[in-house]
Amino acid sequence: MAGSLGAMPFDRRAEIALVDLATCDRCGLCLPLCPPAAIRLALADLIVDAATCTGCRKCVAPCPVGALRMAARG
Amino acid sequence: MADVDVLVVGAGPGGAAAATAAKRAAPELAVLLVERDRAVGTPVRCAEGVGDAGLREFADPDGAPWVARRIRRVIFLAPDDTEVAVAEREVGWILDRTRFDAALAAEACAAGVELRVGTEAAAMSRDGGRWAVRLRTSAGGGQDETVRARVVIGADGVETMVGRWAGLDTRVPARDMESCAQYLVQGIACDPDAIYLQFGSAIAPGGYAWIFPKGPGIANVGLGIVALKADGRTARQYLDEWMTHRFPDGAKTGYTVGGVIVHTTVARTSGDGVLLCGDAAHMVNPLSGGGIVNAMKSGRLAGGTAAAAIRAGDATATGLAGYHRAWMALLGDDHRKYYAIKQALERFDDAFFNGLARTVNAIPRDRRTLGRIFAAALVRHPALLPVAARFFV
Repeated sequence: MAGSLGAMPFDRRAEIALVDLATCDRCGLCLPLCPPAAIRLALADLIVDAATCTGCRKCVAPCPVGALRMAARG
Repeated sequence: MADVDVLVVGAGPGGAAAATAAKRAAPELAVLLVERDRAVGTPVRCAEGVGDAGLREFADPDGAPWVARRIRRVIFLAPDDTEVAVAEREVGWILDRTRFDAALAAEACAAGVELRVGTEAAAMSRDGGRWAVRLRTSAGGGQDETVRARVVIGADGVETMVGRWAGLDTRVPARDMESCAQYLVQGIACDPDAIYLQFGSAIAPGGYAWIFPKGPGIANVGLGIVALKADGRTARQYLDEWMTHRFPDGAKTGYTVGGVIVHTTVARTSGDGVLLCGDAAHMVNPLSGGGIVNAMKSGRLAGGTAAAAIRAGDATATGLAGYHRAWMALLGDDHRKYYAIKQALERFDDAFFNGLARTVNAIPRDRRTLGRIFAAALVRHPALLPVAARFFV
């Protein structure tokens, strides 16, 4: 899934959403924002499924406490 | 493997109303209500405001232990802090959601519903004309149990998993997600009989900020923003700035965050053996962000529909299809109109609202109704007319 940042092409799938569990309030706001349903709440944990996340970033800015960020897959 | 007739996932106001309605409509049915959190009504992710008429359809607030405050007026604050009070009348109530939700769940239990707290739905799949739902209990090391249900009612909120497991599209575009943060603040000066709503692109872009009093000097102080319209700060950061401006000396004794979906009802609220209600089905008023009464109204419809379908021996998508039609006729179609107004209001800037506040303040206070405010807005901005025409036709 290629996108473009200015003139420089990049591969969104090179990135993945990461949740900081110390900051996350488990409010669930990010779940319906995730197109492929890669985020789940399970027994009070917030889990991003690495295989499903497309790196689209839609979950990052709306987080009320800034607990989600993008990071390189690795 | 245990069998039930109706499984309701989520014991908020919508789930409790659904379970109670199903059991009352068909007392012979086994109705199970599960709640992920260990106590119904906690944590509170809500500003706790509710209109008088809608609330009274379900419960009597006079003297109720779950009421925090009676509200008699609304004060709008323009972006430049100009205050506009609208005509005083019976406006509504600020609830104590922890007590309110527990009271509704207790009512469900009294009707014969089985309630299990600390129990989440972990997965759901179709099994011989029923749903097999894996339930996980937080006590006892997270043991799983599978329950089969003829009808599952998803009252599992913004983060609904029931909807996704059932193949119903509950995704939300980013422009229709309000990111909210709220403090419970004590020791502040504000009218304890009024709710305050403030708009402004620098205060709460794409949403509004609110003060909902829970008692003299005590209030839920919060705001919602649309991240796409924000300057990169989070909802909490916007709230901290607003707090510093309005209540620098208030004691923040509580804090919560959450999402409010200001969209229209999802295209499909039901499928084979499944119904969605409340926030899970995007049944929040997209203009006000209010969803408590809507959740209860849709829950009541869902419970009644499930009970009737099971009695009739047809809990397929066809047998449950009346639910969607009934909801759209009740409120869903209105929400489409509110959504159009919301979109129209998004085109106006802070200068428009500051000017409107002064125009409206020229109307004598006892004649300052929402209808006249809207009329004043139309005079100032005729571009609203097509929206008004659609709304009032």
